[in-house]
Amino acid sequence: MNFGLTEDQSGILAGLEQLLASKAPAAPTEPVFAAYAADLDKAIAAAGFLDIAREEGFGPLEAALIVERITRLPCSIEAAASALVAPALPIPQGTRPIALVSGDGSKAARFLPMAELLVVDRGDDALLIRVDPDNVAPVETLFAYPYGRLKSLENLEQTVVSDVAGLRRRWRIAIAAEAAGCMASALALVIDHVKTRQAFGRPLGAFQAIQHRLAMASETAESAKWLALRAAWSDTDADAAIAAGFAQSRIAQITYDLHQFSGAMGLTLEFPLHLWTYRLRALAGELGGSGAQSRTAAAAAWPDVA
Amino acid sequence: MEFGWTAEEEAHRANVRDVLDRMLPADWESISVHGPGSDEQTAFSRVFCPALADEGLLIPHWPKEFGGEDLPVWRQFILAEEVWAVGEPRGPQYMNVNWIGPVLMRFGTQVQLDKYLPPIKAGQAIWCQGFSEPSAGSDLAALRTSAVPTKGGYRVTGSKIWTSYAGQAGTCFLLARVPPSGGGPEGKAGIVILLTDMTSPGIQVKQIPALIGEGDIHEVFFDDVFVPAEERLGAEGQAWEIINFALQHERVGIPRYEFSRRILDRAVAKLKAAGKWADPIVQDRAGRALMLCEAARMLVYRVVDSKARDLPPDAFGSLARWAVVSADNGVNDFLTEFLPDGLLGEDPLQQAHHQRAIAAGVASGAAEIQLNLAARRWLELPGEARR
Repeated sequence: MNFGLTEDQSGILAGLEQLLASKAPAAPTEPVFAAYAADLDKAIAAAGFLDIAREEGFGPLEAALIVERITRLPCSIEAAASALVAPALPIPQGTRPIALVSGDGSKAARFLPMAELLVVDRGDDALLIRVDPDNVAPVETLFAYPYGRLKSLENLEQTVVSDVAGLRRRWRIAIAAEAAGCMASALALVIDHVKTRQAFGRPLGAFQAIQHRLAMASETAESAKWLALRAAWSDTDADAAIAAGFAQSRIAQITYDLHQFSGAMGLTLEFPLHLWTYRLRALAGELGGSGAQSRTAAAAAWPDVA
Repeated sequence: MEFGWTAEEEAHRANVRDVLDRMLPADWESISVHGPGSDEQTAFSRVFCPALADEGLLIPHWPKEFGGEDLPVWRQFILAEEVWAVGEPRGPQYMNVNWIGPVLMRFGTQVQLDKYLPPIKAGQAIWCQGFSEPSAGSDLAALRTSAVPTKGGYRVTGSKIWTSYAGQAGTCFLLARVPPSGGGPEGKAGIVILLTDMTSPGIQVKQIPALIGEGDIHEVFFDDVFVPAEERLGAEGQAWEIINFALQHERVGIPRYEFSRRILDRAVAKLKAAGKWADPIVQDRAGRALMLCEAARMLVYRVVDSKARDLPPDAFGSLARWAVVSADNGVNDFLTEFLPDGLLGEDPLQQAHHQRAIAAGVASGAAEIQLNLAARRWLELPGEARR
């Protein structure tokens, strides 16, 4: 047991920091619902960060560390599916961005407007669909990801994958790592806000009612992070479902609290809070939401003995 | 970063489990249901702890110079998980080995070490902690019990409440205040720690019947009790530093989530046997309780990891304590709703868990105090007084 980074892990994250410092866009100046950073997305992929799990001596843990860090940015980058899900499926290196969806190919999916591949979890198997950009209609949403849906399901170039369990396991780890990153940044923004915003002659953050809920929010964010990293390390169904389910189960409370403490400012697009909280709210319902994860965790933790 | 155990740690856990299997009697569950402070469990601890010492598992985490083996932090914690998970057969003596001993080693005089460490190491000492008072619970600094300096020592008058194990204890780790009339400064600086012989004339102990188990809470009255000066731990004015050191050891000392996790495992087995597991709502709720246990485990491990890697102390333990309380309650809520018969005489161990869970947020200081500490020391939010 060691919660510290190895030298290699520190080196990888330091390299990522360097790239982010030089390439990360400033927070959007125009009010936007979703800030997709196309150039940064490409730069991160070109530098190889999203292929780390395919490299000798590394795996999903390093990928999750990278995803968690990238997700803390106030813009969206398609990192989780590329770094965590793709290496577990027969998806060639470099095929990305990748959109993930449950049910059938007609559902709206995150990152579909710029995706090269759409992965559809159909229940008993999965489809890998090569995306023709002309076949994608953008979807307007409050969720702070670019969303789109396929206009037609005819004449698709697709392959069938049978390892749905592997897909879901990594997808759950991806949800957990992304949620952890979003929670950390959203919380940090609101903590800064309550330290400076004055009401009734003192900073908002000096009120115990607010302090307690922020301390609980911090417990949520830290739990989400460590459960996500453990799940990435063990790469087991139980840990993955526990991590994703825990994060999803806390999203309603943490997003409510963080908006609440930001007041009306938190309802504007000018204040960047929604760039994290509306990614969290999008993640809350993925793969069936916390209830589905909870039942999966229960089934994995307490398998029926034949 | 690594979330698994080394071969040595696995072997250590297997050894602890093996020792517990061998040493716990067939009727252990019926002994443990009364709680660590009960007559039964205290009596059992006097047999169990010496046997545990013979196995090298009572104080292996103590430094070699005090008779321990300098056991690495993680192995110490594995031992704690295993003994707590089976219902704490060390009874009240867990406190001695967890923090009373280490506090004495850090702050005690040679005379105090010679007097108090041997019975702890022999598995025979029972201590209680005289902290809370009727008007000073989580707010320890408000305590009023007075220690008036007199020739050769102090005269103690006042009362303590919620004191665990007082009915059985030979010694009390007592906090009292030197009153201004006796030269004591105001506030925390006026507190002294007196290692008080519980057979001293003037001490009266009254058990308080409670929901949480027998022998767990008492009132202790001190009527002009003489405590010799050589029983003061540390200097006058040093008590707050010692208390903080003690509380740091105490708060992360109990891996409560491990008992909750095992009770949850057991509950699922019972629900399966009763044909109730197929209900997706039952599975969902069990899964949620499981998530809380595992979240608590990860946050507590984060604290232990910091200690194991000798990192500077931080306030993360406050977040961990909140997670632990949430896990205890989450599992308890699940059991109470889906296995209510367990609390109707069918499952004494479930009842024991219930009784510990309802105290989890109150024992060793209200969990809300931990939220205050997390807000101020971890999130660095401004203090309430800043107006």
